Amino acid sequence: MPEENRMKTFLEAAGRSGAKTVFCSSPAQAVSYLRDHSGGSILLPSFSSSRRLGLAGLLRDAGCEVIDSDFRRQSAAAAAGLTGVNFAFAETGTLVLESTEEPVRLATTLPERHFALLDPRKIFPDARSAAPVLRQLQSGTRHFVAFVTGPSRTADIERVLTIGVHGPREVHILLLEGLSDDPLEM
Amino acid sequence: MKKVRMQEYKQRIDNALSTPRLQEALHRFGDAWAKAREDAFLGLDFEALRAEIAGCKDEVRRHRERYLSEFIRNAENAGARVVRARNAEEACRYITELARERGVRTAVKSKSMVSEEIHLNKALEEAGVRPVETDLGEWIVQLAGERPSHMVMPAIHMFRQEVAELFGQVTGQPEPPDIAHLVQLARNQLRGAFIEAEMGISGANIAVAETGGLVLLTNEGNARLVATLPKIHVALVGIEKLAPSLEDALRIIQVLPKSATGQPITSYVTWIGGAVPCGEGDKELHIVLLDNGRSALAESPRCRDALRCIRCGACANVCPVYQTVGGHVFGHVYIGAIGIVLTAFYHGLDGAAEIVRACIGCRSCVSVCPAGIDLEDIILHLREVIAGEEGIGAGKSVVFKKIMRNRRLFHGMLRTAAILQKPVTRGERTIRHLPLFFSGLTEWRTLPAIADTPLRDSWTKLPQKVENPKARVAFFAGCLNDFVYPELGEDLVTVLNRLGAEVIFPEEQSCCGVPASYSGDRETASEMAEQNVRALLSEKPDYVVTTCPTCTMALQRDFVEHLKDNPVWAEKARRLSEITFDVSRLITDKLGGAEVFQGSGGDLTTYHDSCHLKRGAGVWREPRRLLAASGRELTEMAHADRCCGFGGSYSFASHPAVARRILEDKLTDIEASDAKCVAMDCPGCLLQIRGGLEKKESPIRAAHTIELLADTFRR
Ligand code: SF4
Ligand code: SF4
Repeated sequence: MPEENRMKTFLEAAGRSGAKTVFCSSPAQAVSYLRDHSGGSILLPSFSSSRRLGLAGLLRDAGCEVIDSDFRRQSAAAAAGLTGVNFAFAETGTLVLESTEEPVRLATTLPERHFALLDPRKIFPDARSAAPVLRQLQSGTRHFVAFVTGPSRTADIERVLTIGVHGPREVHILLLEGLSDDPLEM
Repeated sequence: MKKVRMQEYKQRIDNALSTPRLQEALHRFGDAWAKAREDAFLGLDFEALRAEIAGCKDEVRRHRERYLSEFIRNAENAGARVVRARNAEEACRYITELARERGVRTAVKSKSMVSEEIHLNKALEEAGVRPVETDLGEWIVQLAGERPSHMVMPAIHMFRQEVAELFGQVTGQPEPPDIAHLVQLARNQLRGAFIEAEMGISGANIAVAETGGLVLLTNEGNARLVATLPKIHVALVGIEKLAPSLEDALRIIQVLPKSATGQPITSYVTWIGGAVPCGEGDKELHIVLLDNGRSALAESPRCRDALRCIRCGACANVCPVYQTVGGHVFGHVYIGAIGIVLTAFYHGLDGAAEIVRACIGCRSCVSVCPAGIDLEDIILHLREVIAGEEGIGAGKSVVFKKIMRNRRLFHGMLRTAAILQKPVTRGERTIRHLPLFFSGLTEWRTLPAIADTPLRDSWTKLPQKVENPKARVAFFAGCLNDFVYPELGEDLVTVLNRLGAEVIFPEEQSCCGVPASYSGDRETASEMAEQNVRALLSEKPDYVVTTCPTCTMALQRDFVEHLKDNPVWAEKARRLSEITFDVSRLITDKLGGAEVFQGSGGDLTTYHDSCHLKRGAGVWREPRRLLAASGRELTEMAHADRCCGFGGSYSFASHPAVARRILEDKLTDIEASDAKCVAMDCPGCLLQIRGGLEKKESPIRAAHTIELLADTFRR
C-alpha cells in the first residue's frame, strides 16, 4: 500500500469506527486542541514522546488540569485520558497501545474521552503486516497490548448501536509528525 | 424421564411460537447481520480464510498436549498461575476456593460462555460471592434470572421496556425505556461494582501457545476493566481456544468480528500475558484451562470438527429454526447448530436429545460457518447415536426396517394408500382436509394425493421421441416423483428427448434412504444405498438424473459414505456418484446448455433455492439460466435460499408447527416479489410451497423447473 493511500485508508476506517482524526502541525496546536476538547482534567500517564515534548508542562501552561500521579485514586474523576500510540493499522483504523503499565490502561478505559497522539509514520497497512512488531512487544515476559478501534460500543438492547457503555465515548486521534518513528515506544 | 423431557420441550416450542415479537426481532437481526457480514467479507476469499482457520484448529486438536504445555510454560514464565480442570466441578471448585482464601465478596465478570457452561455464577453464590455480569446483555439476562439466548447477543430476546423494568428494580425508581438512558444507567451502576470487586473473571477468545498470552475481543470495553481494576483476574478458557502462533491469532481476530457482527474488528482486542502491574503490586492472573468433554470430542472422528468453532454465532443467525423458536428452545447453554453438538459433549446426550431433532437439515449453517464445520453432518450423526441409545420409536422402526427395505412391500403399500385415500381426496389431486387428529397437517397447506398410477407403472407407456440418442440417461425418481408427482417424469422425458437424450427408468430403484438416515437409522440407509447402486448401474447409463436434490445428495454423497467400507459396493457407489446430476446441471453441462430453449414472453418468475440443491450440490445459477433462456423474466425474492420448512417428516411428524412458521416466511417473500410464478427444483419444496399457496388461495403458480421447461416445447 503506497504511503498516501495508507493515510487515506486509515482516516476513512478510523472515521467509520467512530473515532475523530485531527491533523496537528505542531505540539502547540495539539495542546490547544486538548485544551478546547478535554472537558476537564486530563490523565497523563508517562510515555516516551510525551516526556520528550514535555507535554505535562505545555498542557499546564495552556491552563489544563493535568493528573500525572496517583492514577488509581484520581482516574475515576478525570474527564479525559491522553496517551501516545505505538503504531496503527490503516485497514481498520486501529490504534495499538502497549499498556503494560497500569496508568496507560486507566487513562484509556475510565474517562469519557481518549486522546491519542499518533505519528503518521507509524501506520502499518494491516495487522498481519505488523505481526513481527507485535511479537516484539509480547516477547518480554508479561505484557498487556491493546488494539483500540473507535469508542466503546454496545448493541445489546434491541440491537441498537449505542456508543460509550463501559469505555470512552469519544476517541480523538491527533496526528502529529515527529513524535517518534519507533513502533516499540509510545 | 424421556416423556417428561419431550413434553417440556413441546411446551417450550409452543411458548416460543406464541411470541411473534421474538420472531420478528430475530428475523430483523438476521437480515441486518447478513448484510453487514457480506459487506465485511467483501473482497476477501472466504473459502481460503475458513480453510486457514480450520487448518489451525485441526493442528491444535491433533497436537493438543504439545500446545497446551507450550502455552502453560510461557504463561507461567510470565507470572500466571495455570490450572487444568477436567470438568465443571473442578473448575468451579478452584475458583470458589480461591475466592474464599482471598476474602472475595464481589466478582465482576466479562462475557464468558465457559462460565455459563460450568454454571459458575451458581457456584460463586453458594460460596458467598456476589457475581456481577458487566457485559450489558449478560447483566440484563442475569437481572432477569435467565440464560443468554444467543452467544454474541445474550439478551436478543428482550425488549427495551423489559430492560427498563429490570433496571428500575436496581435503582428503586421507574426508568424510562430509552436505550441511551438505559446504557448510561448501566455504565454508572456497574462502575461501582468494578471499583469494589476484588476479583475479575473473564473468558478468552484465543490462548496463544507461542506467547502464553490470552486474547479477548469486546466492544464494550468491560473485559479491559475486569482485567485491570481488581487485584485478581481469573480467565476461564476452554482448551480448544489454543492457537499455535501470533499469526494464527491474528487470523482469528480478522475473521471472528466479521462473522459475529459484521464489524471489520471489535472496538477492543486485548492481549494479556501474565501478571501485569496492578496498583502498588502485581496482578494475580489465574488461568483455568477447561476440558469438560473437549478431549472426548477430539476423539470422535465424526464430531471432532466442532472443536474448530470460534463462537461467532453465525450458525444461529442463519438458521430458520433458531429464527423461529429462539435460543431458549434451540439450544442449551450453547445455541444453534453448534449448540446441539456442544450440548451433547459438554452436558450429555440427554440435554441434546430433543434439539438434535429440531434441525431441519437446510445446511445454511454449514455454508456460513467461518471454521468450515459441516454442522449438519455432525447433527445427523448425533441423531444416529441418540437413536441407538433411545431407539427411533416403534412406528418408524417398523416402517424403515421391515417395509422400506423391502421394495415390493413398500411400493405395494404406497399403491394401496392411493386407493385408501380416495374418501379424503374426493377424487381431487390434493387433500384439503384430513379426518380427526391428522387434520393439523392440512390446516396450513393442502397435501397432494398419492397418484393413482405411479410413474413406475406408466413408464412403459411414455413414448420416447428421440432418434439416435446421444446419451442414455437413467432417471432416479425418488418417492415423491414416483408416487406423488409422476407428471414430472413425463416432463423430464419431453425435455431430455428434445435435447437428444433417451431416458430410462431402472425399475429396481427404490427410496434413497434419506428418511431413514435423517431419523438416525443408518443400517436401513446403507441397505437402500446398496439396492439403488445395483439397480441404477445395472442399466449401464451414461448419466443418472434426478429431479429431487435430496436424492441427488444421496446418490452423489451419502451412498459413497454409507458403502465406503463395503468391498463390493464402495467402488460402484463412487462410479454412480460421478455420473449423477440434478436435471439443471445435466442440461447446462452435459446436454447442450440453455440455448435450446429460446423462448419469450413467459410469466414473471421468481426462483426458490432448495437447500440441498444450492448448499448440497452447489447448483443455483443453472436453473435460473435455463428459466431465463426459456423466456421467463426472473425476479429475485428476498431470502431466496432460505428453507421452505418442508424437511420431510419434519413437517409431517416431528415439528409441524415450526415448519408451518418457516413456510409462512417463505410465502411472504414469494408474494412480495410480485412474481406470478415461483420455480423450484425439488418435489418436497413443491409440496410445501404449492400446498401453502393453495391453502391461501393465492393465484401464484408453484412449479418445478422441469415442468416450466417442458411448457416451452408444448407451447
Ligand atoms: S442445518 Fe439448517 S436447520 Fe439445521 S441447524 Fe443448520 S441452519 Fe439450522
Ligand atoms: S459453529 Fe461455526 S458458525 Fe457456529 S458459532 Fe462456531 S464458528 Fe460460528
